[in-house]
Amino acid sequence: MTSLRIFFIGGLMSYRAMFGWLSPWILIPSLVVSPICQILLFAYIGRSAGVRDDEFYVIGNALNYAAIPCLFAMASTIEGERQGRTLGIVLTTPARRLPLFLGRALPVIANGWGVAMVGVLAGVALLDVEIPSGAWPALVFVVVVTSASCTGLGLAMGAVVLRVREGATFGNVIFCVLLVFSGVNVAREDLPGWMASVGAWLPLTHGIEAARLLADGSNLADVTGLVAREVGVGGLYTVLGLLLLRYFEAESRRTASLERV
Amino acid sequence: MSAVEALDLGRTFRTQSGLLRRSRERVEAVRGVSFTIEPGELYGLLGPNGAGKTTTIKMLITLLLPSSGSARVLGHDVVDDVREVRRRIGYVFGGDRGLYERLSALDNLRYFSELYGVPPREQKARIGSLLELVGLTGREKERVEGYSRGMRQRLHIARGLLHDPDVLFLDEPSIGIDPVGARELRATIGSLRDQGKTVLLTTHYMFEADELCDRIAVIRAGEIVAEGTPSQLKERVGDGRVVEIETYGVPPGTVDTLGALPGVRSVAVEERGQQQVLIVSVEADAEVTQAVLGRLGDVRVGRVAAREPTLEDAYVALVTGS
Amino acid sequence: MKDRVAALLHQQAVCYRLQLKVLSTSAFEGFLAVLFPLMFATAALLVYRIDGDPESMQYAGLGAAIMGMWTCQGVVASSLLSRERWAGTLELLVAAPTSLTRILVPMTMAMSTIGLYSVVATIAWERWVFDIRLEIDNWFLFVVSVLMAAVTLATVGFFLSVTAIRYRTSWALGAALEYPGWLLCGFVIPVSLLPDWVQPLSWAIPTTWAMDAIRASANGGSPWADLAVCAATGAVYAVAAAYLGRRLVDSARRHATLALT
Repeated sequence: MTSLRIFFIGGLMSYRAMFGWLSPWILIPSLVVSPICQILLFAYIGRSAGVRDDEFYVIGNALNYAAIPCLFAMASTIEGERQGRTLGIVLTTPARRLPLFLGRALPVIANGWGVAMVGVLAGVALLDVEIPSGAWPALVFVVVVTSASCTGLGLAMGAVVLRVREGATFGNVIFCVLLVFSGVNVAREDLPGWMASVGAWLPLTHGIEAARLLADGSNLADVTGLVAREVGVGGLYTVLGLLLLRYFEAESRRTASLERV
Repeated sequence: MSAVEALDLGRTFRTQSGLLRRSRERVEAVRGVSFTIEPGELYGLLGPNGAGKTTTIKMLITLLLPSSGSARVLGHDVVDDVREVRRRIGYVFGGDRGLYERLSALDNLRYFSELYGVPPREQKARIGSLLELVGLTGREKERVEGYSRGMRQRLHIARGLLHDPDVLFLDEPSIGIDPVGARELRATIGSLRDQGKTVLLTTHYMFEADELCDRIAVIRAGEIVAEGTPSQLKERVGDGRVVEIETYGVPPGTVDTLGALPGVRSVAVEERGQQQVLIVSVEADAEVTQAVLGRLGDVRVGRVAAREPTLEDAYVALVTGS
Repeated sequence: MKDRVAALLHQQAVCYRLQLKVLSTSAFEGFLAVLFPLMFATAALLVYRIDGDPESMQYAGLGAAIMGMWTCQGVVASSLLSRERWAGTLELLVAAPTSLTRILVPMTMAMSTIGLYSVVATIAWERWVFDIRLEIDNWFLFVVSVLMAAVTLATVGFFLSVTAIRYRTSWALGAALEYPGWLLCGFVIPVSLLPDWVQPLSWAIPTTWAMDAIRASANGGSPWADLAVCAATGAVYAVAAAYLGRRLVDSARRHATLALT
């Protein structure tokens, strides 16, 4: 039972702290208006180029923008731990480590999911998009999985940012990489070979593909392979992130490398 | 014509707190502050944190509009004659901010000389001599982001002097600086007055005000509670003595009981590590030591000493309102 | 009189040079301001590439080259004064005897320089990655139109940045305008494709007209009419900014927001 408490309460506490300085004037433009604009941008590019349909771009860009909270919120959470000097504690508390970290991640995943869903709904409202009502539950599930896997990347990024420092720049660069390589606006078969290969190792790629198939009428059973691959990629980055954190934290105990502001 | 004239200056802030249940409060940061600074004077505005020193200065340098009252700097009104005021004043504040981190000290000074209208022909010489004045020659090409607090402070002063202003406003310039650096800073500030500049200095270090200022105004909770030369202020407690009693654990209420003793002017408690030192300000001929020790009863007592009052005692008395 | 003009030009030149130094040494404002639109341009061109029509590749390629300028002026410019505030230098700028206009103009010009750099970088990138060789009929008119775009964008940036004097969170407004600008100015989507009610918004932005002028010079047409309207709209922003700037500084002095973070 205690693990569950750590999971939920611990996560919510650190998340709130981060948003202490954000007013609604910043939050709403960033997480609602901007993704809708990105969706509109590429939907119209698609129309102008005569390639694919609105639904293709709505799903791709809605999920792409979910990466923003997943990356930044997760990195902020980790930075918050560093500043509160609790990173060491979080990493070494025996047996509680996993629920603790997962707890930190849950609000982030929820945030990413929220941003993606708002994007999809806006796309449905504003553009020519029709998603069969039966597809929604599965779609919601796939979006959760994708958001979780992206949060894993956020964890890895957060660890790197602890040492590299230019978090905002780094996060934006990763967002751009996802935009170009994850099949957000171009289906994998239309991408040059090497780009598609890179994309296979990034979050979002498989999730977006699965979501598109679901919106086109496939059912969940058809996309389990893609969902599994998405989970796998996310897991990979999560493990990488935890290892990096362990390493940096140990290094910091020797060289105070994390103490620099 | 006086250099700076403040007439009943007042400033109120409206603060908002909370997102859903917005509560608005009005805070009177400065209420009816008046003083006059003569040309060539080094005037101190002394007070604890939150007393309204920075707010007063910001009104004088035209960054804040007064809610009430008026002020003139070198004859120009701070609300109506803004540009004339800004041309003739320099503003220096303490702390780490206020410089372009990624530029060198030299570049920072070049930038601000343009903003202050220093003629291009004079810039190089002026910047050179100012760097020498503040002791930064040889390090001016380094980026400010690598500077220590003391170096930044000195650079600030150089910046404030670029356009050779007649009046300089220094807002807590020695805050956070090590003692050696602070001493050098004070020497620099003193030399400014010697050059004929008028200086308004705000500080909460009373020894600094004592050492540097020709006259001091003590400000508390937005009001001036005393004004005069350092000796005049000391005289307020001057014809008395101060008895310092080291104790280990003073029970609550002691301050009041002691304060009620005849001959006692005021009592303050100072924490010094494990001890609490009672600072009892007494009348000139009063002999209160026995009475005080009697009132302390079982409390463990260390050293007892009597001394002359300092400006600090006057200041503490003034700002604690006793 | 001559002395005063010389002093003014000297001030503008020095302030421009130093502000450019501050910008170009920042990863976030220098590097990312060029990379971010470049990646979006890449994503757009990847979509057009599927269609394979050389004319639309030219169309998109030309627009993509200019897209970066909008990012520099929209996002970076509007956060310009916010950054001054966080650095503690905003107060010093206001307290200086020089008018705010004379201080802001060289700043926005420095930003435009980064924008122009972005144009060159994007053209080079397109040539290397997509093999797009831009066919420009009249290089002289092309350069004139690009410069006009830079100058008028500077006036828009100037206008956006003055709002930051009074309102602490206006940097978010600028950031939120990045995508809408890409949508509206006809960079990679023809304005005619947008819904009718949106098009007047496009026409109110000088960049849309500059883009038309740029396309006209590339295609051998006459850009002068478009350049005239571009200059006129840009001038409106400049005048509004100068007027608003003064009012906002007074308001900031009244409400004491110059020093607040």
